[in-house]
Amino acid sequence: MKRIVIQSTRKAWQAKRKAWSTNTILAALICLSAAIAAPRARAEGAGLAGTADCQALQAKYPMLKGKTLVDALNPHTPGYEALDPEDPSHYIGFDVDLADALGTCLGFKLTYKPVAFAALLPTLQSGQADIVISDIYATSERAKAADFITYSKVFDGVLVAKNNPKHITGINASLCGDTAAENTGFVEVPLVQNLAPVCKSAGKPEPGLQLYDNNADCIQAILAGRADTYINDVNTVDQAVKAYPDQLSKAVAVTLPYSIGIAVPKTKPEFRDAIMAALVAVQKAGVETTLLNKWTLDAGSLEEPKLLTQ
Amino acid sequence: MELFFHYLSLPYLLLGIGFTLEVTALGLVGGLAIGLLLAGMQLGRVPVLAALARGYTVIFRGTPLILQLVFAYDALPHVGLTLTAVAAAGLALSANEAPFVAEILRAGVIGVDAGQILAGQALGMTPRILMRRVIAPQAIRTIVPALGNETVSALKNSSLASVIAVPELTLRSTQLASSTFDFFSIFFASGLMYLLLTGAVSLLQLLAETALDLDRRARRTGIARWRKVAIAALPPASMTPVALEAQPETTPAFPAARKARMTRGASPAGASQAGDTVAVEVRSLHKRYGDQIVLDHVNLDVRPGEVVVLLGRSGSGKSTLLRCINHLEEWDAGIIRVGGRQLGYGEDGRKLSPRDVARERANLGVGMVFQQFNLFAHLTARQNIAGPLRWVHGVPPAEADRRAMALLHRVGLGHRADALPRHLSGGQQQRVAIARALAPNPSVLLLDEPTSALDPELVEEVLAVIKLLAVEDGLTMIISTHQLRFAHDVADRIVFLADGVVKEEGPATEVLTRPRHPLTARFLRVMGAEQAMEMPG
Repeated sequence: MKRIVIQSTRKAWQAKRKAWSTNTILAALICLSAAIAAPRARAEGAGLAGTADCQALQAKYPMLKGKTLVDALNPHTPGYEALDPEDPSHYIGFDVDLADALGTCLGFKLTYKPVAFAALLPTLQSGQADIVISDIYATSERAKAADFITYSKVFDGVLVAKNNPKHITGINASLCGDTAAENTGFVEVPLVQNLAPVCKSAGKPEPGLQLYDNNADCIQAILAGRADTYINDVNTVDQAVKAYPDQLSKAVAVTLPYSIGIAVPKTKPEFRDAIMAALVAVQKAGVETTLLNKWTLDAGSLEEPKLLTQ
Repeated sequence: MELFFHYLSLPYLLLGIGFTLEVTALGLVGGLAIGLLLAGMQLGRVPVLAALARGYTVIFRGTPLILQLVFAYDALPHVGLTLTAVAAAGLALSANEAPFVAEILRAGVIGVDAGQILAGQALGMTPRILMRRVIAPQAIRTIVPALGNETVSALKNSSLASVIAVPELTLRSTQLASSTFDFFSIFFASGLMYLLLTGAVSLLQLLAETALDLDRRARRTGIARWRKVAIAALPPASMTPVALEAQPETTPAFPAARKARMTRGASPAGASQAGDTVAVEVRSLHKRYGDQIVLDHVNLDVRPGEVVVLLGRSGSGKSTLLRCINHLEEWDAGIIRVGGRQLGYGEDGRKLSPRDVARERANLGVGMVFQQFNLFAHLTARQNIAGPLRWVHGVPPAEADRRAMALLHRVGLGHRADALPRHLSGGQQQRVAIARALAPNPSVLLLDEPTSALDPELVEEVLAVIKLLAVEDGLTMIISTHQLRFAHDVADRIVFLADGVVKEEGPATEVLTRPRHPLTARFLRVMGAEQAMEMPG
């Protein structure tokens, strides 16, 4: 199975190289399997393989060495994971670099499988992916489906129309009677839903909720006037404001009591331990801090790895 | 606008089209395969299979494709079947398309005129030949627009495969929109790509429809034929059938003249074992539909070369009797022998399967002409005659064609050989149908109210052909008709039926002029008044 994936990736690459030639579409036809964007060589984690920590880990977990693992991601979060706008044949972002660093340390390579956010954990559970590194918050609810190794604190931003006409100040009573756009499966969804009793006791209508499948649709909902706010990772919100400075604003940043985590199958404790140990090594080598800076994420969000399992 | 063109030519998006087409093709090919199976199961004779196919249709037509996709991708691995994203999408789309394709196929098959199927059966076609030569070619023509629809629908549905990580056009577009925020430029570009793809499908559909257009084909071959005719400088083609009897080409392979056959006492193919003097023997034939008795212990003997006319009101059982003699209907009790061989049972005494019944018809040589002509609508007059000869009797194409042309000249339609049935008048169609029934040299020809569906002015040309066959060829015929004058002219014997019972029978003149049974007399009075006929002395 793995071999097939690798071969088809190579075919996809060959096809891409020919892409501008006249037989573009013909070349596309010969791609038999998922054309999975191959990672570019990344400098930040390159030195990891030689560190004593990583050497020891490669000796301890030899079964990962030389493997190609499938990383499921929801590539709609610029800064964490999204297509490279300059060259859409591959994914870029903090999570992609982090996965690459973990792979460098343990000696495996990665391919990426783009799925809907709500499909991240089912894809992992069905074995269609080996690991999920996709800006997913580790909640106890989600830990029923997969084990999580956390690597970052969560800061959310509140995206609103320019100059915040509805005066939204966070996930609180200021949302009563307004409409929030969210992605299916996001932790913000129940947080907004839980405002209903608060609003009711204040004699106000409860907040409305529109569920979409990706960031682009949520942002469009605000631009089209369908929704009043979209609450998500602060970096995503900042990127949206940067893209539409005349139409969007960030109302406020809020902290959520969650951590961002790497999801691994519950059935593979040894793999989980290897990833956790590698994450420790990556942080120790200062690579995660470098990556946070590279992607202009808040360096203060770095968090020591913790295991969340149910 | 610049961005729009940038994304329209972006290799990343263009490559997505490859996956869109791949998933669509898998879905359509798989859907067609499973759909054929489902349609076959539902049209077949095994109730359990039909029920299974129904069940499948209910489930896969009744659940959203997106769920089926997720199921194929995320649930199947739990039972040990891990498909690639493209394969899972192909499987789900196939499974989803199948019931729709099956219904389209079924509609096409059901839509084929039942009369043509009956005619095919009467000509001895097995169910397989009937499907291949009569039903499928006509069904395909009617289902092309629906299949075009389904292809476009499958192409658009393939975008749902984006939820299971197939990197097709939609997935690529949404990801690109998320990373670049160029929402509208990207979706306008991918929208145009979809439009070009579906436009190509529409074009293919149009081409297919044009290629399959019968009128267009008929025009082409018609012109070619007309040229040949012009070169050969054949006599003008508007002759009446009777006038054609002198043509030398009209006689080959016809049964020997009636008189000769009568004196020799010989009967045609398959009749050698017994009953040399009886072509058709019906003994105590009994049949009912529910509580209603249609044939009440009917007896009938027809000698070789004899022309028997069945008279009686509509519903008297004439048609049913004829259809039993060709075994197009089952009966409840009684025996039918044609040329001495008993119908409906194999040599081991067991009931015959539909395929064996078809062979039996082909071997016994019972030809049949229907009230509604029942010509195969997709075949020209010539093909209507030559086709069954080739498919049922294995006659070589050139020989079959020669015979078809000879018969068409015989019925006065040599000049209309390449016309489609729809371009022929009712009378001409019925003459072709008679020629078709005569082609395999039947020992008995059954004619079921052959002129009832014709406009009055067209009746005569058909009757003239039948008279010709009776007088010149001495063909054994059983004819049900309301035309008393015709009956008088052509019949050796008349059998009068009422309520499934033979009330009276005897020589034609005697029954027509001196009926013994009051019901016969009344029938003749009513019919005679209607047709304002003058009976001789």
